Amino acid sequence: MSSYRSHKEKTLLEQVERALTPEEESALFTPAGYDFREAEKGGYSNYSYWQSTFRAFFKNRVAVFLLLVMAALLLFTVVQPYLPGQRDPNLIYDNPLNGLPLRNQQPNSDFWFGTNSIGQDLWARIWAGTRTSLFIGFVVAGVEALLGILAGMLWGYVRRVEFLFTELYNILDNLPQTLVLVLFSLILKPSIQTMVLAMCMTGWIQMARFVRNQIVILRDRDYNLASRCLGTSTWRILFKNLLPYLVSVIMLRVALAIPAAIGNEVFITYIGLGLPLEIPSLGNLLNEGRLLMTAPPLRYQLIFPTVVLAVITISFYIIGNAFADAADPKNHV
Amino acid sequence: MTETDIILSVQDLDVKFDLRGRTLHAIRGVSLDVYRGESLAIVGESGSGKSVFTKSFMGLLDQNGSVTGGHILYGGQDLAGYASEKQWLTIRGREIAMVLQDPMTSLNPLKTIGRQIEEAVVLHQGLKGDAARRAVLATLSDVGIDDPEHRYGQYPHEFSGGMRQRVVIAIAVACRPKILICDEPTTALDVTIQAQILDLVKALQKKYDLTTIYITHDLGVVANVADRIAVMYAGDIVELGRCEEVFYDPRHPYTWALLSSLPQLGVKGEPLYSIAGTPPNLFHEVKGDAFAPRNPQALKIDFVARPPYFEVSPTHKARTWLLDPRAPKVEPPEHIRQLREQGVKFRAQ
Amino acid sequence: MLKYLAKRIGRSLITLFFIISLVFCLMRQMPVEGYFTNYDKLTAAQVQAGIAQLGLDKPLPVQLARFYRDALRGDLGVSHIYRTNVPVTTILAEKIPVSLKLGIAAMLLAMAVGIPMGILMARSNRTRHKLGDKLGTGFIVFIQAVPAAVYYLFLQLLGSDLFHLPMLVTGSATWMAWILPVVSLSLPNIAYYGMWLRRYMVDETTKDYVRLATAKGVKSSTIMRRHIFRNAFVPMVQYIPTSFLNTVVGSIYIESLYSIPGMGGLLVDVIKRQDNTMVQGIVLLYATVGIIGLILGDLLMTVADPRIKLSKKEGAR
Repeated sequence: MSSYRSHKEKTLLEQVERALTPEEESALFTPAGYDFREAEKGGYSNYSYWQSTFRAFFKNRVAVFLLLVMAALLLFTVVQPYLPGQRDPNLIYDNPLNGLPLRNQQPNSDFWFGTNSIGQDLWARIWAGTRTSLFIGFVVAGVEALLGILAGMLWGYVRRVEFLFTELYNILDNLPQTLVLVLFSLILKPSIQTMVLAMCMTGWIQMARFVRNQIVILRDRDYNLASRCLGTSTWRILFKNLLPYLVSVIMLRVALAIPAAIGNEVFITYIGLGLPLEIPSLGNLLNEGRLLMTAPPLRYQLIFPTVVLAVITISFYIIGNAFADAADPKNHV
Repeated sequence: MTETDIILSVQDLDVKFDLRGRTLHAIRGVSLDVYRGESLAIVGESGSGKSVFTKSFMGLLDQNGSVTGGHILYGGQDLAGYASEKQWLTIRGREIAMVLQDPMTSLNPLKTIGRQIEEAVVLHQGLKGDAARRAVLATLSDVGIDDPEHRYGQYPHEFSGGMRQRVVIAIAVACRPKILICDEPTTALDVTIQAQILDLVKALQKKYDLTTIYITHDLGVVANVADRIAVMYAGDIVELGRCEEVFYDPRHPYTWALLSSLPQLGVKGEPLYSIAGTPPNLFHEVKGDAFAPRNPQALKIDFVARPPYFEVSPTHKARTWLLDPRAPKVEPPEHIRQLREQGVKFRAQ
Repeated sequence: MLKYLAKRIGRSLITLFFIISLVFCLMRQMPVEGYFTNYDKLTAAQVQAGIAQLGLDKPLPVQLARFYRDALRGDLGVSHIYRTNVPVTTILAEKIPVSLKLGIAAMLLAMAVGIPMGILMARSNRTRHKLGDKLGTGFIVFIQAVPAAVYYLFLQLLGSDLFHLPMLVTGSATWMAWILPVVSLSLPNIAYYGMWLRRYMVDETTKDYVRLATAKGVKSSTIMRRHIFRNAFVPMVQYIPTSFLNTVVGSIYIESLYSIPGMGGLLVDVIKRQDNTMVQGIVLLYATVGIIGLILGDLLMTVADPRIKLSKKEGAR
């Protein structure tokens, strides 16, 4: 075996020698001079957290695709009422020939999604409904995020309020969210405000707990101890040292809160405590469609809202998870 | 040392990792012979590839890593070609066993340590039931754990760090291997325990006739246990030799830098020596000598062509153009010269 | 251990008290129609008399105290609209067994399918192409993202169209009618168990002790079974109460969808009909059940993991 090795070595040496002319040889065997800056260059390249996060996110083709789909959907829901030829979602349309409402019309060139059982334009209703549901979803997610982050930061960082929050959490956590929703809707009149209020009631504490858990892990890290020694104010530490690390967790919860809010809305509508029919929402539309489920030709009234709902919820779920994965520094190569 | 004494022979090993589409060339054509019964230490900084190197002997590379070239000859077989689990099961534990770095996480927290050692005993000593239990108790005494009867039924979190490492060593030894690889066995332990563990391994090596390979970045450990030293940098062995040779007569500039960095060699009041820069990014192909950019004594040819091994003695060689007869005479740094003088004195005694 | 248990139960009782009192106070805000069968036909004087008889005109704390006194004796009042003058407890006693059957069947099915699914997905994750993992993930994403109400509906549609399974349980003679509701109800939990078990198993796979076991020469299938699965299963136990709550909530919907004469359908009904005492009773029951479930979950966790020392537990779960 050693003969194999020394043979290899000799060949290597000979190869190098053969390639060199005598002048080159003497030139090469001189000191190269030392530049310590070259030494530093050998290491790894510049790392920017946000750059790496976005790069990692955009590598996930499914998530990017869905992001584009959602962006297009959102844009369309906002723009749709202003497009030419759009109808009012609550108006009942009559057949000009006999004056009777155009009930349960199949999708055709006039009514792209058809009409519902009392003659309203389903296309207009679906987009109005999407607007309402998305609005509820975004507001709930936003309030939850705001409240939750603030509460969570205080809970995790300021020792004096920790006990209070922990007990509060223990009580609120045991309340099933649906129950609260039901009760609120029962007692207050069902409306957008009621729903938003009810959903925010229990949602924020979960966000607060996630944020708090992260902060508890981070607050005793050396760089935070150093900040404290320097006399940095609590708020500054919270916002500059800790918050950037929470982005991943926060984004995920926000992204998941939206489909959850829509889901709650659907559930409440089913029980009968949902929004009144004049405010179309995906929950309402699903419910209307459900009532006609047994008649195959009328199923389109169920399928259209379902598809829209599925696209929205799945997209948010996947985008949220993809972003959370991308923001995790362990996935930055 | 004759040819028949070689227990493991690695020839031109290439190991690559596939990380999200980019290839990391972790081991770049490394050759090494391990002799039966010796204590070999592989030294290097983090990222030099020393762990990856030994993992390839047992098929413990991560899923995205693979041996892309070269041979690992052991017992008449070429391990580099092993692909199926069945093949590796003939090697793991049975022939080669490993002791990992962190005893806190090396043991299953939800199983008693007795059971975990017994797993190895049942697999490799062919014992069952009561006989297996007795063998476990014997092994526990072997590694210096008192009251083995009681300890058998305890969980890892009931042991101290040093005791846990003894358990891990017990598991490795219970496999009755021929080669024992210790991957940073003392790095996670207190200094006072380190010496005990090293002595334990030395004793076991003698008792069970093992060949030991130590992976470490701690030169103190090396001085304590090693017969031979291999210095690794950027996925390659840059210097290989007997312990005294590498310590007292190092030839590669990286070894010089490494030894100079020892705080013990520093002079009080003077700034401590440190090597500027960082190891190269192994995603890119390395041209010439990998250490060249950080080497104050680099020659121009170091940036052009990779140096072959030059022999200093039959047992000592280094991969540096400085040993080429055409190279100018370069003086090693102050600290190394002091070591050399100490070495001469040492040999004269 | 006992000290911890006592503390935990004590805390839960406080929560329970809080919830019930809250519900009680909220219920008092409900329109009084909920107490009379034929409100429209009554004169104002009769309404007043009725209110006085039910003790609804007393101050709130008095009512609350009376309620607790009665409840602890097992008296939750009588229904006024749903089934007039029948005690709430009697009505509940009829419905509970039905819901219990449904719930238990769904939980068992969820475990029987969800756990193997998680294991298969974790195993598939170690292979080159991870096909099983990807399929499973797609399934889980769908179930978790799309609101249950939506796919329950579709399952009912598909089930009756493709497999000719009966749509409703009442009025159906065969046990086949139970297939759709049980399967539907178990779906969210299947996704839940599958997702968490897979995640825990994959996490365990990268741990050092697994590497040591591999180095020992243990077969990978044995490692999966003896080390990874056993260890990953431990934290799974904490999800049992959550999945239980999921089942309870889901049953509300499923029962009305499939006309199952259980608690869930009852709740929907009495809400629609505004029968206040019934709503109160059911909410009380659900809250209690939920809290008991959570306590059990904590206990199970401590049994499963020898590392958890009970007396020392920090803040939030």
